[in-house]
Order: sequence, then C-alpha cells, then structure tokens
Amino acid sequence: MDLLEPTREAFALLLRGDPELLQIIWLSLWLSLAAIALVSPPSIALGFLLAKRRFPGQRALVVLVQAFLSFPTVVIGLVIYLLLSRRGPLGSFELLFSPTAIVIGYMAIAFPILVVFTVSAVQGADPRVYETARSLGASRMRAARTTLREVRFGIIAAVVNAFGRVVSEVGCAIMVGGNIAGLTRNMPTAIALETSKGDFAQGIALGMVLMALAVGINVVMALLQGQGGLK
Amino acid sequence: MSQTLFEAEGIVRRLGGRRVLDGIALNLERGQGYVLSGDNGSGKTTLLRILSGLDAADAGVLRFQGEQALLPRYPDGWRLRAVYVHQHPYLFHTSVAGNIAYGLKARGEARERWLHKVEDAIDWAGVREVVAVPPQKLSGGEKQRVALARAKVLAPQLLLLDEPTANLDAAGRRRTIELLARLCAEGVSVLIACHDREIIELPGVRRFHLEDGKLVPVA
Repeated sequence: MDLLEPTREAFALLLRGDPELLQIIWLSLWLSLAAIALVSPPSIALGFLLAKRRFPGQRALVVLVQAFLSFPTVVIGLVIYLLLSRRGPLGSFELLFSPTAIVIGYMAIAFPILVVFTVSAVQGADPRVYETARSLGASRMRAARTTLREVRFGIIAAVVNAFGRVVSEVGCAIMVGGNIAGLTRNMPTAIALETSKGDFAQGIALGMVLMALAVGINVVMALLQGQGGLK
Repeated sequence: MSQTLFEAEGIVRRLGGRRVLDGIALNLERGQGYVLSGDNGSGKTTLLRILSGLDAADAGVLRFQGEQALLPRYPDGWRLRAVYVHQHPYLFHTSVAGNIAYGLKARGEARERWLHKVEDAIDWAGVREVVAVPPQKLSGGEKQRVALARAKVLAPQLLLLDEPTANLDAAGRRRTIELLARLCAEGVSVLIACHDREIIELPGVRRFHLEDGKLVPVA
C-alpha cells in the first residue's frame, strides 16, 4: 500500500483547512470540552469528599470508582445505549445518536479519572492546609476550596488527562453517537469510518491532529508535574 | 478584675491505650498570657488541638465565655474566636499579604477594611522586607512571624501557639520571642505550648506543666 500519496493528501487537507475536516475537529473538541466542563465540578467535589471524609463504605467506594477506570469504553457505551434506547428507561428523551448522548458517554468515561486523580491529589496534600484554613475561621466549603487550590496542579492534571482520554475515545462515541456526519462524527469515529472505506487521507489528517493533541496534553502534564514538584 | 474567657474540664484523650490527657482542667482569663510546658510527647500539642477544635477528645467539657460544649462537639463559631498556629505553620501558595488576609476574607470583611489591617499586621510582624518573596521561600522564622501576623490580624479572643520557636535559628527565635512578648504585653489571651526557657520566663505569663496526662500550675 502506498502511504506517501494519502499522507501528502492529508497534509493538503490540513493546510487548506478542509471544511469537513475542520467541522469534525471542531465537533470533537466542543463535545469533549462540554463533557469535561459538566462532569469536572461534581467529580472533583466527590474526589475531595472521598479523600477527606471517613464514612462506612468509603474505601469500597474508592475501589469501585478505581474499577471504573479499567472498564472498556465500549461497555460504557453499551450501558448508555441501553439506557437511552427507545425502550430504555431514558428513551423518552430521544437522546440516542445525538451530540448529547456523546457528551453523556464522555462524562461517564471522564468521571472516574477525575475522581481518582482528585482523591490522590487531596490525599497527598499537606494536612495543615485544611487545618490552617479551618483554624483561621474558614467554613468547611472554603477550606475545601483552599485545599483544592493548593493542589491545583494535581487537579488540572486530572482535567487535562480526562480531556485527553475522551477526545480520543472511539468505542462509546460510535455506540451512542452513531457516527452521523455533521452531528456526531468526531475525530476517532471519522478515522475508523474513513479507514474502513479505504480513504486514508482524512484518517491520517485526523490522526495527526489527535497525535498533536496527545503531545500537547503530555507537555502540559509534564509542565504541571514540574510546577507541582516546586511546592 | 480578671474574667474567665475559656474553661476546660475533665478532658480525656486516649492514644494507643494510653491516657495522654487524663482529666485536664484549665481556666484561661481574658487578656492573660499562659505557657504550657511539658516533655516531648506529654500531650501539649494534643491539648492545644483539642482546645482549637482540630482534634476530638474522648471526653470533657469546654466553655468559651460561658457557652458550653460537650466534647467531641466543637461549635463552629468558636473557630472565629480561637486561632491555632501550628509548630511549623503552613503558608498558602499566595503572597505574604494574601496569607495574612486569608482569615479576614473568610470572615467576609470588605477589601477596604482588611487592606489596612493587613498592612498594619505586616509592620507588626516585621515582615515588610519579605512581603514580595513567595511564602514557600521564607525562612522558618519569617514563616512563623507571617503565621503570627495572620492569626493576630483576626484579633482572636484566644490564640493557641504550638512550639512557636521550635527549630528556628537564633535570629528567627529572637524575633519570634519579641513578637510573643508583645502579644502578651498587648493583652492578647494566648496559650503557648513550648520548651523554650525564654518564653517560659516571659514576664507576666502564667505557667502550666503537663506531666503524666495531668496539668499542674507552676508557681
């Protein structure tokens, strides 16, 4: 198979800003960012509570959330598909094969990443942070916000990591999004589709965008780890 | 005439099967400085943390200006009146001024009100020359003085200080002791847990010694 020609074509698509390509990239980024923005606040709050509060079943809950990390995304997609399908409990909302369904799927994938990273960051925080805040008269909520701010590099790393995971996710997006052009087709599902049709140029172009994103995310993570290490 | 500010009765704390605090009774008067001495591991820090609500006791009663709390319950409102400073204070990752302003902001004070209080506290603690230095890069003595300013700016009714001169170099220790002497002279009710001879012998302070879980007044 000649790789040179599709690669050259891929660069051409990127350089001339092919509208279809840009639309897929835009949709991918938009859906991923929307999901991360929606799921981050409750996940980070839960992560904080799991790290700080002692209650019966707390350890089991942490283990359960950790287990979600290793769930295949296609299984998560299957569960959401069953929930959103016409005969499912949420079928009346008619969300299946819509951008909203993809956002829900992405939120489910990002949730355990955000919770587990937050638990780890907060457990690694100096216990004097929360105590100092409380002793200076901060409410529990304000002391929690102060603690999260003190471990902000860990929290940002969680958000960046979750974004990196969902933007490159394919199994769940195909299951619940249906890969509909202009509506739910994102970068990974477009790569899968175009490759199956033998049209490699668009797949390679989108692959390069995804790889650039992966490199960018890892650079950000490395910088954040460096910042965190300065503490 | 002296007035009782804070009282503790029958405070018990068991750690690892040992009664670290064995029925502690304490009466602190308004505007009076106190020093709590005792060997390492005698329970000084534990007692201070219980009095500030950071740790729970197994039993005991606290009274703050007559308002009673049956331990381990610690009224949230008391945290606005009693401030605890760690042996090695933690300074937040913000500026020196931001650290000093933290408690004032937590109390919802307007910016125009807390700004001048923070400026006064910076001068009081003698940290003007390091005000632009990131708090994490301050020396131990400077951190301690910023922490004292951060607590003092709140005008707490009771200040609980845990070993404020421990592990400080000679200059840091000297300047911290000067601040503590000023606190006591200014009539701030303060309870200082320490070994430091010079603090124990500060003029006007009353002394307690913690031994075998019991508190003994020292003449």
